[in-house]
Amino acid sequence: MRIENAVFLIVLLLAAGFFSYNVQRLLSYLSIALPDDRGGHPLVRLKNVITVAFLQKKILRDPVAGPMHALIFWGFCVLTAGTIELLLHGSFPAFSYDFLPTSLYQFYSISQDLFGALVLGAVAFAFYRRLVLHPERLEGDNLEHSDALIILGAIAGLMVTMFGVNAIELALDPESITRAKPLSFALSMPLRGLPIGLLNGAHAVFWWAHALLVLAFLNFLPYSKHLHIVSSIPNVYFSNSQGPGPKGVIRFLDLEAENVEQFGAADVDQMTWKDLLDGYTCTECGRCTSVCPAHLTGKVLSPRKIIIDTRRRLMEKAPLLLGDYSELAHHALVHGEGDEGSTSATAILEHRLLDNFITEEELWQCTTCRACIQECPVGIEHLDHIVDMRRNLVLMESRFPPEVLPTFESMERNGSPWAFRPDDRAKWAEGMDIPTMAELVERGESPEILFWVGCMGSFDDRSKKISVAFARILQAAGVPFAILGQEETCNGDPARRMGNEYLYQTLAKQNIETLTRYDVKTIVTFCPHCFHQIGNEYPQLGGNYEVIHHSTYIERLLEAGRVPFDTDAGKTLTMAYHDSCYLGRYNDVYDAPRETLRRALPIVTMVEPERTRDRGMCCGAGGGRMFMEETQGKRINVERAEQLLATGADMLAVACPFCMTMISDGVKAKDSEVPVFDISEVVASRLRA
Amino acid sequence: MKIAVCIKRVPDMETRFRIAASGTAVDEAGLKYDLSDFDGYAVETALQLNEKQGPGETVVISLGPDVVQEQLRKALSMGAERAVQLKADRVPTDGLSIARALAAELKDGGYDLIFFGRQAVDSANATVGPMVAEMLGLPCATAVSSLDISSGRGTARRDLEGAAEIVDFALPAVVTIDEGMPRARYPSLKGIMAAKKKPLEVRAAQLGDESLTLEKMELPPERAAGRIVGEGPGAVAELVRLLHTEAKVL
Ligand SMILES: Cc1cc2nc3c(=O)[nH]c(=O)nc-3n(C[C@H](O)[C@H](O)[C@H](O)COP(=O)(O)OP(=O)(O)OC[C@H]3O[C@@H](n4cnc5c(N)ncnc54)[C@H](O)[C@@H]3O)c2cc1C
Ligand code: SF4
Ligand code: SF4
Repeated sequence: MRIENAVFLIVLLLAAGFFSYNVQRLLSYLSIALPDDRGGHPLVRLKNVITVAFLQKKILRDPVAGPMHALIFWGFCVLTAGTIELLLHGSFPAFSYDFLPTSLYQFYSISQDLFGALVLGAVAFAFYRRLVLHPERLEGDNLEHSDALIILGAIAGLMVTMFGVNAIELALDPESITRAKPLSFALSMPLRGLPIGLLNGAHAVFWWAHALLVLAFLNFLPYSKHLHIVSSIPNVYFSNSQGPGPKGVIRFLDLEAENVEQFGAADVDQMTWKDLLDGYTCTECGRCTSVCPAHLTGKVLSPRKIIIDTRRRLMEKAPLLLGDYSELAHHALVHGEGDEGSTSATAILEHRLLDNFITEEELWQCTTCRACIQECPVGIEHLDHIVDMRRNLVLMESRFPPEVLPTFESMERNGSPWAFRPDDRAKWAEGMDIPTMAELVERGESPEILFWVGCMGSFDDRSKKISVAFARILQAAGVPFAILGQEETCNGDPARRMGNEYLYQTLAKQNIETLTRYDVKTIVTFCPHCFHQIGNEYPQLGGNYEVIHHSTYIERLLEAGRVPFDTDAGKTLTMAYHDSCYLGRYNDVYDAPRETLRRALPIVTMVEPERTRDRGMCCGAGGGRMFMEETQGKRINVERAEQLLATGADMLAVACPFCMTMISDGVKAKDSEVPVFDISEVVASRLRA
Repeated sequence: MKIAVCIKRVPDMETRFRIAASGTAVDEAGLKYDLSDFDGYAVETALQLNEKQGPGETVVISLGPDVVQEQLRKALSMGAERAVQLKADRVPTDGLSIARALAAELKDGGYDLIFFGRQAVDSANATVGPMVAEMLGLPCATAVSSLDISSGRGTARRDLEGAAEIVDFALPAVVTIDEGMPRARYPSLKGIMAAKKKPLEVRAAQLGDESLTLEKMELPPERAAGRIVGEGPGAVAELVRLLHTEAKVL
């Protein structure tokens, strides 16, 4: 072993040691977190890793930055093989992959060269994009842009030095097996014939530069957002955002657990390890914020900031909790924030994530639309953070917008978010000859389905018409069904999304008790919130039912030819359908409502707004926003109504009573006469008299 | 300060009441209960006073059967330190008898302030507070919509029809709380959990004889449904005609 090989071996070991120290350190920070069971379903999770991480499915949703990043990523996967060869070769000169069969080695050589060039091209574009194009989503939230530029520069440096090493080796020995590398070979041509000493010297320089750059790069990762290179694969693996199980289900909170005194999260040590891993993994790409309806309408909420703040807070607090005060100096150095006093250990411990980093205002602006989670390429689940902090606000501190108080109180007293009399719940059905469960049981009958009406369908004047329309379809199709009448209460979704888990569980348990008493198996509802809540979240409390949204149910009836239509085929109509978040992004129901409209109006022309299906924009009502004032920025429902009206449709269709209210109001605010209908009303309008 | 708040359990006034078979009470089936609204303000006022003025104790007292413990627990979950149930089979109609029992409980409690609601939202007598003050020989400020306490004296504002009065009194005193005072806070889960561990004493209410009994209860006459005459300026003439000929108000 020559002396420089020995030196390199020592450098390599030091670099590897420092890297593993940092990985250890970051892993130890996760030990301050709460447990979260993310095991199980390894096959689904592996599939997510393959599609989301390796095939870059989410990254590629961006037509410009997507291919750029994918090339760099795939290039990295391919080039890592070469890097390993190079590092081992540096320590043990005899080492090389030339033991491989020639054809395989040649294939490897070509791939190195090819991907080296592609990565270089992609990096050049990335520089151009960051420095010249300034895409909007890379702005805001106090981002440290130098981070990205350092990394891009390092990648470019790695590629240049790699080509340098390869070209010089080929100039020294044009017959080497590596001549299969086309670009390196071309680059080596002009170098041939240069003095051997010069070439050898240049080789050493390029080689050392490359090797040191690799090691520096590796050790820079834990200090930058490029930590995602390491953490995104586990984060995608453990993420529930693509399944297993239904999407968007909120973590269960055991309110009766012994010795638990904290509900929800006010700081990083009250969050789960997955929340903290989210923090490590965020690439600061801003895909989430760029689709957030609150952000788009000029509000302070930025889902990216929520995640970055989680990381920033973790980095300053975890070391203190673990008794490592040396990080303090590092923190002050890296972030350079505050005066000397504010980085003292006491000051840091007195701070917390909630209020000092993330404000109440930000948290209450979220509509829980899941657009951010849908878009995030590395499996981050923003809503876990947001809802957990809302839980702390409500359950621990009783802090929420004042207008929410009557909502909570009404849900508690009247079983609906409004101060309507519970006795009036079934008033919409008067004269329609719709039996209640209680009446059927008395007659010794049991219905095929339970029509879960929901609070909007029971009390809101506009939505009551949807209840009537859907009931008429069921009657026309001869489906034996019943309602719960006064025995139905709010499913609890608004309370749960607003962090009031206690109220939610009270309501949910009451409903489960009623449903169990009647031995209900199949529930159909036109409210996507009831649909998601009862179908996907009641199982946490032991309520298991088959819950079907009316769009799917009507589609099936239409398909089976069970709905008697008038012969009139209807007018030719241009229609735009607005996707409800809780139907679409939460439950992947995109086609059933569209198909229902097509079947009901055979000559309808469907037009799609620019943001549609899993990219559809929220109407603004979810997450309890329906019951809060919207004081900052533009109104979300007006923004969405504009997008829908821009399609030029004659008629707008929705499949959610909350969307109905929001979109109708938005259309009215634009002084437009375009009508808004629920899909069931479109179908009911064609029923044979 | 040591503050007592007398709270009453009342049915949700949004309910469509039915008269029970006895004819002297409402039918309790399906009724939802809560603190009387003004009593909620009173608890909140007491809590805020003690939060602002440093160490103190807020004691909530309710007279009635065991179900009133629900309302006492709610007040405890809002932050009151201690609760007392004056146990009785039912809440008497006679405010004097309630006042007697409350006064007996309050007499030796060493309270600086005793809060009542201006009136209970169900029975609407507005008598219990003033009668207790009388029995204890304390000053009584009624229907107070804003209150200042400093150095052993209270200054209260009473909003009247078309005017307001500012009254000044020495502590200890009885105050009945009106609108204008802060709304009852929403109990946090943390508060609800803590309330489970707070003391709730139960004593027999010393009611004495009732001097007033309820003879009969009846529902107000049904109002006829409203009628929409039409929309827009075209309907004005018809509306005026109906107001003149049918409603006879013009
Ligand atoms: C001008 C005028 C306008 C009015 N306007 C309205 C109106 O707008 N709306 C309306 O609803 N009414 C209205 N009223 C009704 C009127 O206020 C009532 O008739 C009466 O004032 C209230 O008496 P009460 O039964 O609440 O008093 P009480 O029954 O004496 O209750 C007073 C307080 O005593 C305490 N208390 C009572 N029972 C208990 C118990 N069992 N345990 C512990 N503490 C207890 C509580 O602190 C309670 O708040 C109006 C009356 C008048 C004269
Ligand atoms: S769920 Fe929707 S509203 Fe909430 S942060 Fe994400 S994108 Fe924004
Ligand atoms: S949370 Fe996800 S989408 Fe948002 S900035 Fe971070 S990596 Fe990008």
